[in-house]
Amino acid sequence: MDIVFFIISMSLFALVFFILGYLGYRQTKTAEDYFIAGRKMGAVLIAFSYGATFISAVALIGFSGIASVYGLSILWLAFLNIFVGIFIAFVVYGLRTRKMGLSLKAMTLPELLGHRFNSVKLQQVSGLIIGIFMVAYTSAVFLAIASLFQVTFAIPYWLCVVVFTVIVGIYLIIGGAYAVMWTHAVQAIVMLVGMIILTVGVYWILGGIGPAHEAAAALTPEMLQSIGSPAATQAPNGLTSMPPFLSMPFMMILTLIFGVGIGVLAQPQLITRYLTAKNDKALRLAIPYGGLFILLMTFTAFSIGPLCNVLMYRNNISYPTKIVGGALTANPDAVIPTIINQFFPSWFILIFLFAILAAAMSTAAALLHTAGAAIGRDVYETSSKKQFSPKKSIFITRIATVIIVIATLIISLNPLDVVAYMTAFFFGLMACTFLAPYTLMLYWKRTNRTGVWIGMLGGFLFTITWYILIYFKTAPKIIGSPLIGNYVINMLDPIFIGLPLSFLLTILCSILSKQDTEEETLMKKSFENI
Amino acid sequence: MMNLILGMDIGVFLAWIGTLLATVLCIVYGLYYQFIKKSEEKQQTKSLKEEEKKQEEDQ
Repeated sequence: MDIVFFIISMSLFALVFFILGYLGYRQTKTAEDYFIAGRKMGAVLIAFSYGATFISAVALIGFSGIASVYGLSILWLAFLNIFVGIFIAFVVYGLRTRKMGLSLKAMTLPELLGHRFNSVKLQQVSGLIIGIFMVAYTSAVFLAIASLFQVTFAIPYWLCVVVFTVIVGIYLIIGGAYAVMWTHAVQAIVMLVGMIILTVGVYWILGGIGPAHEAAAALTPEMLQSIGSPAATQAPNGLTSMPPFLSMPFMMILTLIFGVGIGVLAQPQLITRYLTAKNDKALRLAIPYGGLFILLMTFTAFSIGPLCNVLMYRNNISYPTKIVGGALTANPDAVIPTIINQFFPSWFILIFLFAILAAAMSTAAALLHTAGAAIGRDVYETSSKKQFSPKKSIFITRIATVIIVIATLIISLNPLDVVAYMTAFFFGLMACTFLAPYTLMLYWKRTNRTGVWIGMLGGFLFTITWYILIYFKTAPKIIGSPLIGNYVINMLDPIFIGLPLSFLLTILCSILSKQDTEEETLMKKSFENI
Repeated sequence: MMNLILGMDIGVFLAWIGTLLATVLCIVYGLYYQFIKKSEEKQQTKSLKEEEKKQEEDQ
């Protein structure tokens, strides 16, 4: 594709976001406007913003690549994405979060925790955890998108990272939550168009749903071996069958499904979307839009991943590779870009690139906005004993966001390995740290400050320790080899142990200690609208 | 060779159909709150108003 044409389109794309950023800037009068779009958002905007934040380029490219290796069994993740990530998230968490946020005048997850349990330190520590680890996750998002552009246009990786970070940084810092939500709506539409055409196109080429799946099921390990596909060994029962129970591919699927599928409930950047709702009805009506959006994103992306093997086999295309440590290894992240380059017209390549770019930008904008608020509002403002005016508060968060953007840029320029694992890492960590205190805060009146502190830190420390000492992807890079050699254990996502542990600690410590008078008053206040 | 449904084994097919059913659940939930719940609320308001009117007439 013509690079000049792409640059012109990219400039127009960026211009739309800058205009929305400017409109957001004009609309922003109060801190509430900057952080949660004035609590004025309707169902469609909430659904699109939630969906566009949730689905990153990592989910579309990284996970479809993983699906090309492990087969359609990854569709369990699509199921959890919709049932847990949308239905349970909005019905069980969203409605109460909005009401409690209103009662406690909270605009971020750390602020909600701090106000509910009368603890500034709790707000600061949770803000710090969110700020630091979100930078790592955002860098994973930029890594995915820059890799795609490197493959498609041969544009240097560093240039892609710098351009994307600067564009997102500008409209986000200027326009705050309004700009983030409005741009999400535009980006979600672009993502929908790209994914629908891609999915219909792949199934059409392969003759429909049944024939396509049957063709994938008919691929033998020898056939997959002939194109160099790692599915030859990683999908031992075939691309359309579940791997053998407790085998290595089974554990890989299990860890991805639960790390991301359950971890979604405690993502601070998604929790913020509930707080932007103008009323309960907006949240309730966002559920069908959100469900459909996620269906058209993950269900499609995960379904076509394995089918790419069929297309490659039938057309004698080798599975894409990359050089890691001097050796040539399979590169799942490049599977979808390769298929698009080979089988789709150039006009669609442009649409798809913008869809992926939109997915990356939307997630990155929400992450950077949440991380900026965590560091600026939850950490800096609360540690300073001054009372800040709304204007000053917004200014501080803007500065914090600039710092976060720069930090993300530095990390993105020194990228880590496969992007999808970083998503699972972040989701797992946030879930083990915040899900238990957050759930119990919403539903159990006896939950107290001591319980939340111990549950939160217990879950956090366990997860970090698990990643350093045991988890098969991270431990070898940190300490040489995992402390536990058994793959059934070391491939297990920490969420399986860290989450129950965090719940147990929060409940036990809340039972063993009492709420003080102020905490009790705040508890009553937080439940008064529920 | 094991039986395949739409080219998928039972474990994968359950995930496939489960995803579609979860979406249907989301849509039905939205439709319920958009139309049925709304008309229930309207009916409740209507019957409350009728009761109030009756009470006024009785008085």
